[in-house]
Amino acid sequence: MNAIDIRNLSKTYRTRKWGRVDALQDLTLSVGKGEVFGFLGPNGAGKSTTIKTLMGLISPSAGTAQMAGVPVGDARCRMKVGYLPENPAFYDFLTAREYLRFVAAMFGMSPQETQAATGKVLGLLELEGAADRPIRGFSKGMVQRLGLAQAMLHDPEIYVLDEPMSGLDPLGRALVKNIIRDLKQQGKTVFFSTHITADVEVVCDRVGVIVKGKLQTVNAVHELLAAGVVGYQVQVTGLSDFSGEGVEVTVRGGGILELQVPRELLSLTLEKLGSRGAEITLIEPNRQDLESFFLEVVAQGKK
Amino acid sequence: MDVFRATVVMTFRWILRDRVLHAILAVALLMILLVPALSTFSMRQVQELSITLSLSAISFVLLMVTVLLGASSVWRDIERRYLASVLTLPISRTVFLLGRFCGIACFIALCGVVLGAAAAVIISVSSAQYPSDIPIHWDKIGLALLADIAKYIMLASVGIFFSTVSTSFYFPFFASIGIYLAGSGSQEVYEYVSGQFGKEMGSVSVALFKAVYYLIPNFAAFDLKVPAIYGVPVLPAGLGLTFSYAVLYCAILLCVSSYTFSRRQFP
Ligand SMILES: Nc1ncnc2c1ncn2[C@@H]1O[C@H](COP(=O)(O)OP(=O)(O)OP(=O)(O)O)[C@@H](O)[C@H]1O
Ligand SMILES: [Mg+2]
Repeated sequence: MNAIDIRNLSKTYRTRKWGRVDALQDLTLSVGKGEVFGFLGPNGAGKSTTIKTLMGLISPSAGTAQMAGVPVGDARCRMKVGYLPENPAFYDFLTAREYLRFVAAMFGMSPQETQAATGKVLGLLELEGAADRPIRGFSKGMVQRLGLAQAMLHDPEIYVLDEPMSGLDPLGRALVKNIIRDLKQQGKTVFFSTHITADVEVVCDRVGVIVKGKLQTVNAVHELLAAGVVGYQVQVTGLSDFSGEGVEVTVRGGGILELQVPRELLSLTLEKLGSRGAEITLIEPNRQDLESFFLEVVAQGKK
Repeated sequence: MDVFRATVVMTFRWILRDRVLHAILAVALLMILLVPALSTFSMRQVQELSITLSLSAISFVLLMVTVLLGASSVWRDIERRYLASVLTLPISRTVFLLGRFCGIACFIALCGVVLGAAAAVIISVSSAQYPSDIPIHWDKIGLALLADIAKYIMLASVGIFFSTVSTSFYFPFFASIGIYLAGSGSQEVYEYVSGQFGKEMGSVSVALFKAVYYLIPNFAAFDLKVPAIYGVPVLPAGLGLTFSYAVLYCAILLCVSSYTFSRRQFP
């Protein structure tokens, strides 16, 4: 059973004056158990629309979706899900701790569980100092952290996060990335939306790109990264000179030669270097990054 | 059950920490404190007047509180985007709405009891200064207060219903005030239309009047001020009917609200 199963999902918003916006068109997507899935797309692509449908805030115009095998729209389906809304807002007359207690009650957690879990998530997101202050006085980033805290409180199997990194400082972003990696270690499923390719690169197993309501591609991130390698940068010592077809050579200080080797020539070049007794000190891939892949897909999708 | 209780508690906290409400309650206490001074103006019926004024003041304050809470119950959650974080918890929308209603109803009752207690002190004080021939019928005063509370809880369900179909604050706010006015006067209009005057009107308009009469809450039966002031007996059967009516009306309205709220989109 997949953690998330989306079948032929479409959503058309009706706007005033008889207008229609096709926010989602025939989206089919599955996220396996234990997978970290990045949902990438430019502004207005339909990421939040998909996520709101999953969480039962809006009902689809066509198609179905399930989480943990339960159709969305059924309140029970959210029992095993932790959700972080886009630009979250929480009852601001409550303190962070009171809000977390409220959330725990919604999941039917016992007082002991609540106590332990609250302390844990507040610590993890570095909110202990603000725990007993009303949320009204929280900064944007603090609210975002609280949003993650309340999503993690009941230790769900599935995480649905709408732009988890938005509004966070670099420390916070790093923290969230670490948290997502930890969740993966624990075998949790994470489905998160973003428009930042670098975030996808470091934490995701797979990435789907959505443009104008249509899912363009779904790829394994390691394959994309491998496919994106166009060549290698090789540094050697112990050679005064090297020449090979297609290989660009620069002399660096300290007796170092730097070679730019095309992808298909790497093994051959390494052999040659070895036979001439060179010592290889560094091999680094030169890759076309995910960003340019993303931009390409978006450009394709907009046509 | 836990889910429901937590929602009620959360609603209660929301109400207790609302500044506008603090202001209203301060005004309410002030009004009740003014009752002795005002009732001595009448010179003769000080006790009767103090009861009337206290009950009216409480009624007015409860009206304000009810209309405000009923209208803002769902509106504020939408306006501030709270619903995206709350309705995505595993709570059904029906339970959420029910929790909201019960929280508001409890608060209205609490308000009524607290203000009632304050009024009781004031009434004793002013009647002790100028004793009346009629004894004070505390039981009937309590009953009048209880009926008033029931009335406003009904009105709260009306406000909640309107707020589930609207995105603004003003529509449910003014619609509940409108329903309150119409519901308070509907009995008189009904009797008027049922009598001689109705024969002169077309049968269609009479039917329309009657349909509206049955649709909107009938608040006339909840006005027990006269028995409270003069000790006129109240029939238990009629009383039972009145309170059953309140319960039934709230139940029906909450069912309808739950239906509309559950189908609503929160993009
Ligand atoms: N309530 C609404 N009424 C009408 N159109 C809407 C509504 N909400 C979203 N849309 C439209 O649906 C499309 C998708 O919006 P959505 O919020 O899903 O985008 P997104 O991918 O989350 O973008 P972002 O990265 O900016 O958050 C957009 O064209 C948007 O204008
Ligand atoms: Mg979005």
